[in-house]
Amino acid sequence: MTRATLDFLWSVLPSLLIGFPGGRPGGLALTLILSLAAIGLGFVIALGVGPGRAAGPWPVRAACALYVEFFRGLPLLLLLFVVHVILGGRRLGLDLSPRASALIALTLYASAYQAEILRAGLAVVPDQLVESARLVGGRAWQIYLHVRLSYAVQVMLPAFAGQAITLFKDSAVLVALGVGELMTVTRSALGSDVRNAAYWLPTYLLVGGLYALVAFAISRLAGRLERRQRSGDLLYSLTNY
Amino acid sequence: MITEALPLLARGLAMTLALTLVTSALALAWGLPIGLLRLSRVRWQNWIGTAYVETFRNVPALVLVIIGGFALPNAFPHAARRALFFDNSSVAWIGQITGLPVPYYAIAAVLGLSLNTSAYLAELFRAGVGAIAREHFEAARSLGATPGAVFWGLLLPQGLAAAYPAIATRLIHNMKNTALASFLTVPEFFKAIQTAIGESFRAVEFLIVAAGGYLLLAALMSSALSVAEGWLKGGRR
Repeated sequence: MTRATLDFLWSVLPSLLIGFPGGRPGGLALTLILSLAAIGLGFVIALGVGPGRAAGPWPVRAACALYVEFFRGLPLLLLLFVVHVILGGRRLGLDLSPRASALIALTLYASAYQAEILRAGLAVVPDQLVESARLVGGRAWQIYLHVRLSYAVQVMLPAFAGQAITLFKDSAVLVALGVGELMTVTRSALGSDVRNAAYWLPTYLLVGGLYALVAFAISRLAGRLERRQRSGDLLYSLTNY
Repeated sequence: MITEALPLLARGLAMTLALTLVTSALALAWGLPIGLLRLSRVRWQNWIGTAYVETFRNVPALVLVIIGGFALPNAFPHAARRALFFDNSSVAWIGQITGLPVPYYAIAAVLGLSLNTSAYLAELFRAGVGAIAREHFEAARSLGATPGAVFWGLLLPQGLAAAYPAIATRLIHNMKNTALASFLTVPEFFKAIQTAIGESFRAVEFLIVAAGGYLLLAALMSSALSVAEGWLKGGRR
């Protein structure tokens, strides 16, 4: 690696991490913000859709199944354009910014996977656990919230973590809307200047390394959580979407 | 307007199917040996398996695709770049068979997607083998089975069977990931949709067609994979 390459990498690193100076947060920071927000919002949706698909009157079950299959069946890249052009287009009058479209698309995408994980978790709640909660006098909603749901979330923690990592990495396609996250910043930093051609490989290797570092850190953190929760490893292997 | 674009879309769909088949086959062919390396008790083998899995699983597929397609050729001076990646006899040969304008980009997309998926499959295969009952290994050993027999008779069928649902999910994810090849201008389904939109300015209509196409592909693939599961299970008995 030449001196010039190192200088270049060093000069773009701050932009890659937190975005271009003077602007809104961008780069890796924005990737993290968007992913975290999508995971949180997606979980709220999943709390309705997952149980809805597992147990509900048949129209609810069908609607939830449709929701999951739709948003899980599309490539995120396509979903991004569907949200930005159709939902955010002028026809519906929403006129979303690329950033808002990106957040909505990521949220819908995450929620479908999380709903499936939650459904799988609800399916393995031991009957004895629910029975004993009933015996000690739990009300229906208490049992649902504190026993079924909390058990399902705990046993599926590794799968949720795996999904979070996947979403974080999949968010790289947001560059197609030019949202200003890590991949967009990388593209702009390299620009169309022919003299930058030699920097492409080291820069993208650095960016790949940044993604891998964060993904690896999250999986380590999740591994530690999992050991504390001592949840089943077979379940993890079967539901690691 | 949609009928005008039909040939374009059909060619795109065929390209997406081809990409899916080739990347799935390559990912399975690489993923299983890597999964075995991860299981190995020999330290350097285990280390290679772990490095491979952690690298290609934790780097986003899009980054792999762009590194292969754009960044790697850009690392060479102009003349060498042309000779190595874009303008030589083997690339021309691939272009002749597939009819692709820039065959190297398709090669790079295939490599990036296969590397990414193979790392996931290796991990799933490892988990599947981990679910095999200990007694089966002991039985195999006490019968004096060779390592090759243990692999073909025990590890491969039972490990694959245990990991099958997760592997099927990952292969469908891989199919959706082939849309990333559009970043390298490979004329697969998503790129064809983009082209059609560019020519007609009918974005909403073509995006709906695209959604329908991918949902159909995902549904077809998932039923094909469950038929294949039935076969594999029937064959084992």
